[in-house]
Amino acid sequence: MTTQPLELTTTKARSHVNTVPAYFRQLKYMGAVGSVTLFALILVSAYLMPFAYGALTSLKTREQIVTSANGPILPVDHATFEWEGQQLQLYRVTLPDGEERELARLPESTLRMQYMLDPENPTAPPIELEIRRPQLQPVWKLNPHWENFKLVWEGQQGMVRLPRLMLNTILIAVFGVIGTVMSSLVVAYAFARFPLPFKRTIFLVLIGTIILPRQVTLVPTYALFVALGWKGTWLPLIVPHFFANAYNVFLFRQYFMTIPRELDEAAMIDGANPLQILIRVIIPQSFPVIMAVSLFHFVYAWNDYFEPLLYLQGKPELQPISIGIQNYNYIYDQQQGLLQASVLITLLVPVALFFMMQRFFMQGVVVTGVDK
Amino acid sequence: MSTKRYFFAISVLFALILGSFPVFAQDGPVTITWFVGLGAGGQPEQIAAQNAVVEAFNASQDDIVLEIIIVDNNVAQDTLGTLIATGDAPDIVGPVGLAGSNAFAGNWLDLEPLVESSGFDLSRYDEAAVDSYRTDEGLVGLPFATFPSFIYYRRDLFDESGIPYPPSAYGEPYADGDEWTMDKLREIGMLLTLDENGYNATEEEFNPDAIIQWGFVSQWTDPRGHASLFGAANPIDEDGNAYVPDSWRAAFDWFYKGIWEDHFIPNGAQAGSDILANGNAFASGNVAMAHTHLWYTCCLGDVTDNWDIAPVPSYNGVTTAKLHGDTFRILNSTEHPEEAFEVLTYLIAGDAAPQLLQVYGGMPALPELQEDFFATLDETYPQGVNWQVAIDSLAYADSPNHESYLPNFRRVTDRIGEFQVLYENTPGLDIQAELDALIADLQVLYETADEESSDVDTGVGSGS
Amino acid sequence: MAVQKKRTMSPLMRQQRRWGLIFLSPWVFGFLAFGLIPIIASLIFSFTDFRLTSGEAIQFNNFENWRRLFTQDTVIKDAILNTLRFAAIALPLSIVMPLLLAALLNSKYLFGKSIFRTLFYMPYVVPIISAIYIWRGMLGTEAGWINRILAEIGIKGPNWLQDAAFIYPALNIIGLWTLGNAMLIMLAAMQGVPTELYEAAKVDGAGPIRRFFSITIPMISPVIFYNLILSVIGIFRYFEVPYILREDQSANQAATMFPNVYLYKEGFALNDMGYASVLAWVIFVLAMGATILIFMSARFWVYYGAEERD
Repeated sequence: MTTQPLELTTTKARSHVNTVPAYFRQLKYMGAVGSVTLFALILVSAYLMPFAYGALTSLKTREQIVTSANGPILPVDHATFEWEGQQLQLYRVTLPDGEERELARLPESTLRMQYMLDPENPTAPPIELEIRRPQLQPVWKLNPHWENFKLVWEGQQGMVRLPRLMLNTILIAVFGVIGTVMSSLVVAYAFARFPLPFKRTIFLVLIGTIILPRQVTLVPTYALFVALGWKGTWLPLIVPHFFANAYNVFLFRQYFMTIPRELDEAAMIDGANPLQILIRVIIPQSFPVIMAVSLFHFVYAWNDYFEPLLYLQGKPELQPISIGIQNYNYIYDQQQGLLQASVLITLLVPVALFFMMQRFFMQGVVVTGVDK
Repeated sequence: MSTKRYFFAISVLFALILGSFPVFAQDGPVTITWFVGLGAGGQPEQIAAQNAVVEAFNASQDDIVLEIIIVDNNVAQDTLGTLIATGDAPDIVGPVGLAGSNAFAGNWLDLEPLVESSGFDLSRYDEAAVDSYRTDEGLVGLPFATFPSFIYYRRDLFDESGIPYPPSAYGEPYADGDEWTMDKLREIGMLLTLDENGYNATEEEFNPDAIIQWGFVSQWTDPRGHASLFGAANPIDEDGNAYVPDSWRAAFDWFYKGIWEDHFIPNGAQAGSDILANGNAFASGNVAMAHTHLWYTCCLGDVTDNWDIAPVPSYNGVTTAKLHGDTFRILNSTEHPEEAFEVLTYLIAGDAAPQLLQVYGGMPALPELQEDFFATLDETYPQGVNWQVAIDSLAYADSPNHESYLPNFRRVTDRIGEFQVLYENTPGLDIQAELDALIADLQVLYETADEESSDVDTGVGSGS
Repeated sequence: MAVQKKRTMSPLMRQQRRWGLIFLSPWVFGFLAFGLIPIIASLIFSFTDFRLTSGEAIQFNNFENWRRLFTQDTVIKDAILNTLRFAAIALPLSIVMPLLLAALLNSKYLFGKSIFRTLFYMPYVVPIISAIYIWRGMLGTEAGWINRILAEIGIKGPNWLQDAAFIYPALNIIGLWTLGNAMLIMLAAMQGVPTELYEAAKVDGAGPIRRFFSITIPMISPVIFYNLILSVIGIFRYFEVPYILREDQSANQAATMFPNVYLYKEGFALNDMGYASVLAWVIFVLAMGATILIFMSARFWVYYGAEERD
């Protein structure tokens, strides 16, 4: 700790004199790389530590979780020694002569008085220790319960099962993706290529809807969907996405602006109408941005909690995973291992998708953010 | 031309998308929806049993399709409220106790005409039990299950500390000859509370920041349930004003001191933590005594063979063992009352009844089912539980019940819930002052009660 | 150039305009159906006793809802105060944290940039509900990892989710996982700052910290502004985290009563749609006010370069 700044000052001092050989400067550079990278490593570990918590907890039984509260964080059981048909718990004990031994606790022990059996010499008279039971150091045995994942995947009888919840989510997401891509695409096309009355104002209103809190429209929209009889179906979660979304329109429009107009004009000369130009010229050029919008919407739909909560209440078999997993929380409330297993399964799909498609994600984020 | 084609294509696409959603046709069999969540029914094995009942019922006939909605107890009132509000109300609700029923007072169907027209035989029941479901709204339920409360205790934890078990029958003294009172419970509770070094809560070395075992918990109940140990009451007087009796003031002192000074009751954070199985404190194995109901046999988890039950202690010479009574009810918005009643009788007195009573842990209201009920419990818990205590607890039922109706019920119970969060989580309170603040707020809530629900009879009796 | 062409070719322009309107129509319809009309409708509902229970006609209730808001309702006052308490931590955090992370990722001394960028962004795609359940365990008072780490260094960890003094830090810790987006945008903006500026500053003898504050921050201020707006909007939409924690009774009920939670409770659990509409308007007005204030402040600190906006 104290040597590091010292070293730094010496290198600085030397560099001023300018007698430093090239390799020394390189060393300094390496040192900076090392410390910055180490710092980032510590930071990212802390940032992602909850995943480790979830993963370890997902491998525990309820008993192991109670054990973990005051014991090791790994999924462990109390090691036992079998003697005369009884499972005796093993403890690591320091004997009066300073020797450390693993001994088994006999059932006649009390809170204040321990009668310990030596597993290596079980027929010898028990060792008496005047120590309180909680002060004994248990011997742990690693025992992860991978079957937790199988249990939650199969679900309890009568619960809506995870595969079904995932399928629901994927279907809702895919319909929404179709809707938002199609509608945002054409609206963005209108802004990017066509003369419109009050174009600037309309565009500002569009962007303004981003700022609009959804609560203001919530009650009437809800009443409308109830009146249409759409409550308890997926329609309220899908149909609104067929009417374009400001973020996506913006993203598409920015992208379309970069497609040279000459391509449109060439197609127009070939007799294509604007719709055909959109399909033949613009869309094939826009693959990355279509991917980005699709992925954003997919993640959004996977994440969306509020609207399914409103519209799919009491329809467990139609619910997406965000709501379904809450039921897992209730049922497994006192079995955190199973809850965390289901939570990990839930986040696996978007995270895997992200890792596979991160290029599109990152491009999309940058376009919306920086170009504003 | 081409613009028209575009519109056409878009509308076809819309039609396809909308058409791809199944339209739920309603011909043929009548669908009856059964809503579970206001009381028991959310535990995995209960869910399984309920689903089995639904399957069996649907297989047994062709006229009714029974559907089940199971939601968690924490959100059940809100969910049911929303379903009723938006016209999606289920037909049957249950198992539901007083608290759940009171939250929806005014929504229950009078069963009397259906009982008459179907010839359902009420004489099988204890008359008083049936009468307890008669209110101004009519006969809003039929007796199904009763859940007396008592003290669950861990024999092994008593043995380890060398402390004698609680008495085995009402009226008996504790082993040292003293009366079995709330003070005695506190005394042995502290001896059974251990820190990480094994010191108990009465010892000088005891470290309250490192407790690993607690003496007592009043599990899964609200302040009214807690206070009922000190005497039955309802925080409203005859004139409709908020108040609490002195016994309740003593009760909250006892609990608050028990949590924050004597440390033999876990605080909110401890009770919700891993060390107490995230809320299922007694099942974690780290609590010596728990006050709760017969339905808790659902949820004992890993603690299966070393517990027994004991009488509820007395306070000032009076013993009060709060009582739950659950049944199934029909919402008066149902479009198919006859069919709903058919399902209802199937659940409470038909083939499904014994199975459901068993998973709910509910003592059957039908006398002929009781013997089998305890016999099956003995198979699950072979250590020989002293079930006589459970039966005897019925005689000490709380009246008024701790879940009795209060005006503005849901807002009032929310406010009472806040009080609980406060005293279970906040050290250093003047608990009596907080109680006064609660009463003041309740007064306002009573006065602003909606007209629509304020005229509902408050005298819904206890289960038995 | 294009504009001139259209002006002179009037029939083509008219046709183009028609096409443009057709392509615009989905949004226009959506804006009317799910934007403008509901906003007006919700203002009308706020003067009525609207409930979704079938039967009774909607009745004008003599400003009862608004009277309740201004004379009786203490919950909304607390909810707004809670929002302010939360925002007092959340807003600075939502700018400073991504900014620092972006600066770290932009450092020429960092090895494995793209891996770090991916890992820091990744929690952003974790569904909020999963994040809540994981963090709830992390923040557990007795056995949560954060308090266990604190205990290792001799600090007794707080009761994060119940203690009124720690609930807002706790909610913000849960929110930390959503800063990936802002980080990425800021990083891209930093990479877009012309290197000549830094070199010129270096020649003038400015150290790295000085360069960060006098070049990087002003140059990316439009992006900071954009993220600030998004954060403010996010705060007025804040719902899921407190709602889920409350529903399981795992968090302080009074401190987690945010305006949207209150709105949900009134409108959807207690079925008072009229009052829910009042609350919606309260949130709307507050959000608008906050946004306008930030826009007004923009000219004092947001630096727009020579570039034209469309």
